[in-house]
Amino acid sequence: MTTSTAINQRSPIEPQRVEQTRNKASNTTQATKNEAVIEVDSLNFSIKNNIILKNLSFSVAAGEVYALLGGNGAGKSSTLKTLLGFNKPNKGSVKVVGKEVSKALDFVRGKTAYLPESATLYPHLTARENVEYFLSLADIKKSDEQINAAFNRVALQQDAWDRNMQTYSKGMRQKTAIALAILREAPIFLLDEPTSGLDPVAIDEFNQLVRELALTGATILMVTHDVYGACQVANRIGLLKNGELVGEFNAPENGRINTEQVHAAFGDYKSRGN
Amino acid sequence: MSYLFLHLKREFGFLLRQKYLVVLLLCTFAVSAFAVISGLSEVSQQRETIERLKSADLTERLNVQTQQTDAGMLAYYTFHLTYSAPSNLAFAALGERDIYPWKHRVNLLALEGQIYESDAQNPELAQAGKIDFAFVLSALAPLIVILLFHDLFANERTSGRYDLLVTTSSSYFALWGARILVRFILLLVCLMLPFYGGAYVAGSSIYDVLLITTMCVAYLVFWAALCIWMGKQASSAPRVASALIGIWVLVAFIIPILGDLAINKIVHSPKGGEIVLTQREAVNDAWDLPKQITMDAFVASNPQWKDHVDMQSEFEWKWYYAFQQVGDEKAAELSHAYRDAARKKYQLAGMVSWFSPALLLQRSLTRKAKTDAIAAFRYEHQIRGFHKCLREFYYPWLFIKGEPTKAALNNMPSFSKTILNEKDEPEVIGVQLK
Repeated sequence: MTTSTAINQRSPIEPQRVEQTRNKASNTTQATKNEAVIEVDSLNFSIKNNIILKNLSFSVAAGEVYALLGGNGAGKSSTLKTLLGFNKPNKGSVKVVGKEVSKALDFVRGKTAYLPESATLYPHLTARENVEYFLSLADIKKSDEQINAAFNRVALQQDAWDRNMQTYSKGMRQKTAIALAILREAPIFLLDEPTSGLDPVAIDEFNQLVRELALTGATILMVTHDVYGACQVANRIGLLKNGELVGEFNAPENGRINTEQVHAAFGDYKSRGN
Repeated sequence: MSYLFLHLKREFGFLLRQKYLVVLLLCTFAVSAFAVISGLSEVSQQRETIERLKSADLTERLNVQTQQTDAGMLAYYTFHLTYSAPSNLAFAALGERDIYPWKHRVNLLALEGQIYESDAQNPELAQAGKIDFAFVLSALAPLIVILLFHDLFANERTSGRYDLLVTTSSSYFALWGARILVRFILLLVCLMLPFYGGAYVAGSSIYDVLLITTMCVAYLVFWAALCIWMGKQASSAPRVASALIGIWVLVAFIIPILGDLAINKIVHSPKGGEIVLTQREAVNDAWDLPKQITMDAFVASNPQWKDHVDMQSEFEWKWYYAFQQVGDEKAAELSHAYRDAARKKYQLAGMVSWFSPALLLQRSLTRKAKTDAIAAFRYEHQIRGFHKCLREFYYPWLFIKGEPTKAALNNMPSFSKTILNEKDEPEVIGVQLK
């Protein structure tokens, strides 16, 4: 596992300091390489002449929650899309469970549960029907009891299970999507702005759930611009600016990352136009 | 197999939950069934008309034979029904049968007028055509394919489900393959089921049914592939739908209409009325001409009768029928030009059809159902052949023998026997068949 001290907590961050932080992050990554489930190494990705990701390196180990924090256009979603094989890297490598994503796409997707920012399932189906439909796509068969258990685990209210999802709130939709991810028994979770648009209670419930999943050994990579939420749930936070990783924070053992420090660093990046 | 079945079953259930798709497919079935039923009804009416006319034709002919004994009078009053019976596939593609006549009653008088008489009818009445299965398939089915397939990808993208679906599904087939296949199969069933029912009722051959099924599948695959390909390129379903509907309007309506206009502009054809007028003027003028002029013209094309054209009285039937034939010969040039133009138009329309899959399919279906212009040309060719048989039957009695015997009358040519003996060679009507 990673060392449990926070690194790079200055604000504003001088370029030299950022470089050092990145080196440290790289060392940390090296230290955990044997256990890393997600490994992103020197990833470059651009669309036409627009550089989206630049020399991005980080890794996430089993049982770890890694939050990639950045403002709009920082490259967070592009990183996830690259991990899911939707984007083809120009340079660098992206490995999941030791396999290059581009070469083992089906394998990687089979191991990954992806939760999009707006988990819009089929509104004309019930939560149960949606879950059954998506599980069937993945060639997975679950009993009603198992599905009920997953709904209970994500705290989806029982009277909603067999109701069309068009009446669902965003939080309920997110819970259904997480239930689906749980039922898939995927060891890796990729979460795209998972708490965006949720009310505070729903956010707390969600964070609790993410921590529980991590305790079961799941590897969780979430991208977010919610500093507070990321600090609540993540073991590590990577700060992304203009497609580059400019800082990394580690949570102390049995503790959480200092929100104010991250906020200060994040605020500084944001004030610099990201 | 069970893998395939499981995914198809899931997508089938999924489709049934989408009400607009179910309604669309039911409408498809209803339109296809309507087209087939109206086709069967039209063909049935045509068959009944032919049978009724055949019966009336025979009764009237026998009636004339009891009242008339003179060869000229018999030839004048005896009409013969000629017809082009609808094929067992005609119900599916009525084709040109509402434009070109499929029945004529002819006698020994000048033929051109009898053939082209109907050409003077108001063509606008036939312009609208009928909604047959070929129309539903070639013109309407692409629209249904567009409605079924245009938002296959775009809808999932705009709803934010695309990435989740792709990353969740175990394979491309599990999601898109099964979804496409279920929609395609259901569309095919809704379109083809009425056709199969119609084919059974009409007694179409298995070979023809399979051939038409293959054509339909190929045509629908073309449109489905186009929809899927365009749907994959774009992220907005309305944009995909607009582009596809534009293509549909272009290939199903604009290209055929512009092609038709261009062909009519390029290929000049005499009007049927001109042929009729030319022939009738020639016949009318003959009354005032010295008989020798008519007989010389007749002998020039019928030298076998040169020793029998002398006339003993002011009116003789041989002279009367000779100037009828000379009238036809005077109109022959126009008649040939008319038919050549029709063939040329047909061939040019064939070239246009390569730019319009809808037109190509419609031509293929009407060709198979023998309801196209070629079938009309062939029928016209059969009438000419039959008229020749009539002349060969009557001329010996008119020019040499006098009153036909009862036995001879029993052997009078009949159209149905003539067409049975005719060789079904494409070059006979001057159009290369593919």
